[in-house]
Amino acid sequence: MDVHIENVRVKRSGRTVLEISSLHFHARQTTAILGPNGAGKTTLLRLIAGLERSRTGEIRVGGKPVQRGQVAYVFQEQVFLRKSVRANLELGLRLRGLPRTETDERIERALSLLGIAHLEERRADRLSGGEGRRVTLARALCLRAPLVLLDEPLAGLDEGSYAQLLDELPQLLAAFDATTLLVTHNRQEAIRLAQHLVVLVNGAVQAAGDKRDVVANPGVSQVAQALGYSVLRVDGRHVAVPPGALRLGRGPVEWTMIVEDVLDLIKSREIIGRVGDSRVRVECPTTGESIHRGDQVFVHAEKAFDVRCDPTS
Amino acid sequence: MIDLLFPDATLLAIVLRSVLVSGTATTLAVLLGVPVGYLIARRTFPGRTVLLGFINTGMGMPPVVVGLVVWLLLVRSGPLGDLGLIYTSYAMVLAQFLIATPIVIGFTTASFQALPPQLGELLAVLGAGRLRTLWTLAQEAKLGLLVAVMAAFGGIVSEVGASMIVGGNLERSTRVLTTAIVTETSRGQIERALALGLALLALSFVVNLGLTVVQQRTRP
Repeated sequence: MDVHIENVRVKRSGRTVLEISSLHFHARQTTAILGPNGAGKTTLLRLIAGLERSRTGEIRVGGKPVQRGQVAYVFQEQVFLRKSVRANLELGLRLRGLPRTETDERIERALSLLGIAHLEERRADRLSGGEGRRVTLARALCLRAPLVLLDEPLAGLDEGSYAQLLDELPQLLAAFDATTLLVTHNRQEAIRLAQHLVVLVNGAVQAAGDKRDVVANPGVSQVAQALGYSVLRVDGRHVAVPPGALRLGRGPVEWTMIVEDVLDLIKSREIIGRVGDSRVRVECPTTGESIHRGDQVFVHAEKAFDVRCDPTS
Repeated sequence: MIDLLFPDATLLAIVLRSVLVSGTATTLAVLLGVPVGYLIARRTFPGRTVLLGFINTGMGMPPVVVGLVVWLLLVRSGPLGDLGLIYTSYAMVLAQFLIATPIVIGFTTASFQALPPQLGELLAVLGAGRLRTLWTLAQEAKLGLLVAVMAAFGGIVSEVGASMIVGGNLERSTRVLTTAIVTETSRGQIERALALGLALLALSFVVNLGLTVVQQRTRP
């Protein structure tokens, strides 16, 4: 089922936190919703799930208003009943009035796919972060809902659990076989898991479309930043450079920069270079010369895009 | 020995009356107090904090003051005097209900507020209606809710001031364990007063033990 959003606006304490004139999510495909903190990503999911209300506009799933039971929602926080994993999975199925045999079959399949069959009788609220996250995904999976909303499903995991679950997520998303909306602030997750990208900044959609198109043409600086690009202001224009592609020294696409700016970029690991032992000393990796505060240096990238900077965002 | 002290089976009648009056008042307080506490815990509205302040004050309200207010309402010349409830068990139930309700609301609000705030939203997304959500969250908050019931019952079964004022301590209709203890003590019947005191303690223990067994059956 596709999802269409038209003219919605969510206000909180008099402030507009989400305003979308038109947005479409493709049926049975995964769309990643990217954006910085406070961009309105979670609010958008809550709106679709019916946990927030818009005084205007409408949200249609498969051409109709959202119905109870159509949505499976994985919250960013792990929320469980103080009961067993099985009881937590059963709850949603019981509310749907499914017969016992089907409930058992769905739970077994979901637990098996997530690799947590051994946790079935354990108390869900006492599991580790990684185990708990798998239970939240299993709970969503066994609902077999046509619309799946995942809010930062990999948040708060340790490095090992994160990498393992990230590897398994494509298979899991295929198992959902649903229209899936994945909220994340991690561009790598978004690009790896989704077919489509939506970039939200300050409650407004800044870019939406096929992920290759959005990545290849970020358009505005806020979208470029959400995608992890370094945005530089050089020679009176804004330039977006893919992550990790900036180098000190001369190259195919090059600019001159003041050392202070370069230092900041090196510290934020956006430029590959070496920082000297003092706060103002930078060693140019190509020439080995020391460069000083106020000097002009060359930086270069293999690839870069001009982007617009929207002063209102 | 009990037969010697209470040859006319008055002890049993007094115990039963105490159970009936305080049990009914607790039940009514739970029926009103749990939904009200649930709403206060889950909703935000203007004046919520002030309301909670009143409820928390009510949790420590002196029973004798509640008794006096109910007496003023129900006495023959009072606004509800025509109902003819003064010096009946109904008046005692009403007074004890007013004492117990803030206790139930206060503990219920705290119990529901201690649950993860997203739990209600999870149930809504899973498709639970309002009653189902209340029931499921009440199960999650069971420990605290049973504390509410125990505190409410314990508070009213042991109070004497309100029952004395609005019930009148009439031997065959409104005498309960606490007022009987006062009467027997004032008559110098210390053995009878002590026996009644033991009966009150035993009643309180049996009820609380039953509730504790339910509370601890699925201890987290």
